Amino acid sequence: MPDDSGYHFDPAIIVDHLDDLGTGLLRTLAISAIGMAGALIVGALLGAMSTLRIPVARQLITVYVEVFRNTPLLVQIFFLYFALPETGLQLGGFTVGWLSLLLWGGAYNVENFRAGFEAVEGGYVEACRALGFPRLAAFRHVTLPIGARIALPSVTNILISVFKNSSFMIAISYPELTETAVNIVAVTFRVFEMFLAIGVVYLGLVWLMSLGARAIEGRFAIPGGH
Amino acid sequence: MPAWVGPVADYLAGGLRETALLALVSIAASLLVGILLGALLTLPGKPVRAVVRAYVEIWRGLPIIITLFLIFFVLPIIGVRVNTFIAAAIGLSLWGSANVAEVVRGAVQSVPRGQAEAAAALGFSWTGRMRHVLLPQAARRALPPLIGLVVNLTQQTSLAAVIGLVDILEASQRSIERLTLSGGSTHAVPILGAVLAVFFVICLPLTMLSRWYERRLH
Repeated sequence: MPDDSGYHFDPAIIVDHLDDLGTGLLRTLAISAIGMAGALIVGALLGAMSTLRIPVARQLITVYVEVFRNTPLLVQIFFLYFALPETGLQLGGFTVGWLSLLLWGGAYNVENFRAGFEAVEGGYVEACRALGFPRLAAFRHVTLPIGARIALPSVTNILISVFKNSSFMIAISYPELTETAVNIVAVTFRVFEMFLAIGVVYLGLVWLMSLGARAIEGRFAIPGGH
Repeated sequence: MPAWVGPVADYLAGGLRETALLALVSIAASLLVGILLGALLTLPGKPVRAVVRAYVEIWRGLPIIITLFLIFFVLPIIGVRVNTFIAAAIGLSLWGSANVAEVVRGAVQSVPRGQAEAAAALGFSWTGRMRHVLLPQAARRALPPLIGLVVNLTQQTSLAAVIGLVDILEASQRSIERLTLSGGSTHAVPILGAVLAVFFVICLPLTMLSRWYERRLH
């Protein structure tokens, strides 16, 4: 792609660094997978505890959710990586990577699951309780299966955001895909090729995940809506 | 109060001004462009919609960091010089406007179809239907998610630190480094804690407003 500044598009640079980029991508996928799975479990579990109005736990969950939703993920990452060592807790790049994604995504998913559970029609739970189900059993057999389905689209959206936000780890120089690309650019100055290449990788994976999410939503759709 | 607190607080305040300015510019641009694009997404014409759809999918799908790098490093290659503030504002606005467009499209399409048909039967043009019938009704539904996006954009301004803008986060990093070099003690907990607190104080009321408005709609 020649132009007036004399920049020549050279795709060979991507092939030359395929090994490094592959390793970076694996790290991106590793911290994303742990972060996504954790955000799903934390969200469902704490969302259920919050809906069941378990005293003390509910207030603590609210504090957790509000703190993590109302501060930037990047500052949270900085805090875990640069400030925690001052308190004697030293975490490596990989740990901060998945942990920060898990805590951030978990906070949003608590809200998503709670909203889903609370959207379940009150009459269902009342009917279940009238049939003699204990409170927890009513939650498990009625609120959970219906509420989780209502929450599903917003939950999968956050999980996809968790994957995209794994690129934030560039701020702590953890060599995932984005940091790897930036490091290659620092040596080769091939800005355009590198960002185009990893941009396509991220877009492709986000697109695949969206397809998967739509398929899962279709599979678990409530017949006739809710 | 220890002697280091005063100068650091002053420096952070300067960073906060950059953060606030960047947030305001990005929010304004995102809303302006996003509402227009969202309305275009409901057009019956296929070619326009396909172009806008591509814009929305690309800028929503890319991690914002990649978008910021693309703007910051690639624009100079094609001869456009931008400073970090402008680059960050453009990058955040691309992401923000794509998300606003999706929210607006969803809200417009949630208005019962009979409304648009009735307005069309009365002789309203597309722009007339949008301005007088669809957008005012869609605005009520779009408001809670739009406030959520404003909160999100405000938080995402911190990414500008990655391309070197001295916002509140970059100011905090530089303060921590300076303190480490001069005295050996980093004071990272109070300094980064203060940055977290500033964002929290700005974002929490907006989040609560969004939730309150959402409840009122139901």
